[in-house]
Amino acid sequence: MDIISQLQELVNSIAALAFNTFGTLQRDSPPVRLSPNYPEPHAANPTEDAANVAEQPKLMSAALVKAAKQFDALVAALPSSEGGEEAQLKRIAELQAENDAVGQELQRQLEAADEELKQVQELFSQAADNCLNLKKPE
Amino acid sequence: MAATATYPPPPPYYKLYKDYVQNPNSAPEPPPPIEGTYVLFGANYTTDDVLPSLEEQGVRQLYPTGPNIDFKNELRSLNRDLQLHILELADVLVERPSQYARRVEDISLIFKNLHHLLNSLRPHQGRATLIHLLESQIQRRKQAVEDIKRRREEAQKLLKEALGTLDGH
Repeated sequence: MDIISQLQELVNSIAALAFNTFGTLQRDSPPVRLSPNYPEPHAANPTEDAANVAEQPKLMSAALVKAAKQFDALVAALPSSEGGEEAQLKRIAELQAENDAVGQELQRQLEAADEELKQVQELFSQAADNCLNLKKPE
Repeated sequence: MAATATYPPPPPYYKLYKDYVQNPNSAPEPPPPIEGTYVLFGANYTTDDVLPSLEEQGVRQLYPTGPNIDFKNELRSLNRDLQLHILELADVLVERPSQYARRVEDISLIFKNLHHLLNSLRPHQGRATLIHLLESQIQRRKQAVEDIKRRREEAQKLLKEALGTLDGH
């Protein structure tokens, strides 16, 4: 895939990672104690929460940072735009002129080669005729 | 039992091409290419495919305008801005959860700018592809010219040799 499409895909994936991160954290985080007047809230599933709740933010933020670093790497790999639009258009005009000239040269060479091919075929048919006429069956 | 409708008949223009084999000019010319806007299946389309600028879409532009934009640096700074805004959003959600809307708007603004910047790189990419194609075509044509010249010279040499052997015979 060309580099600009890769960059676009990467931007979309950064967005997806960001809102997945926030959504998962908001959905899965355990209740927190708001005021000293109320007792500690009772955790719903003490076994699975303790392990996952600490792991997931680390994993997801690591993925987000990795995607951002990939973006920077791709941006650095972009070919630097030499000149601007006018320079490119000028180069295209030059290349077109050169292409036309080379095309005409090719055409000339091709025609000359066709001519020579015809001559050689003519000669060959004459030689074949002579061979046939010389070798009379006894 | 044909419960469904049959296909519509082909358009009747084929009758105009009855004498095409004898006289190609007696049949109508193909229609010219469309210019401007046209209607297709009830929707309006335009032939002028240009990327609308951000102001036309009502989105604030975060990177400076001008004839030559330094794409790499702008993309990098937008990326850093994006990361900072994501961190800010995380902070806001912890401290003042009711003020998330403004932060989310900022983040979506940055994304729109990023995509617009990437899309404006496309014409440049198209021209660069054209340049590359032309260069490779010139290369191939020069190669072909060289090949033909070489083969012609070889053929001439062979003919001369054959002539020499025939004469010396």
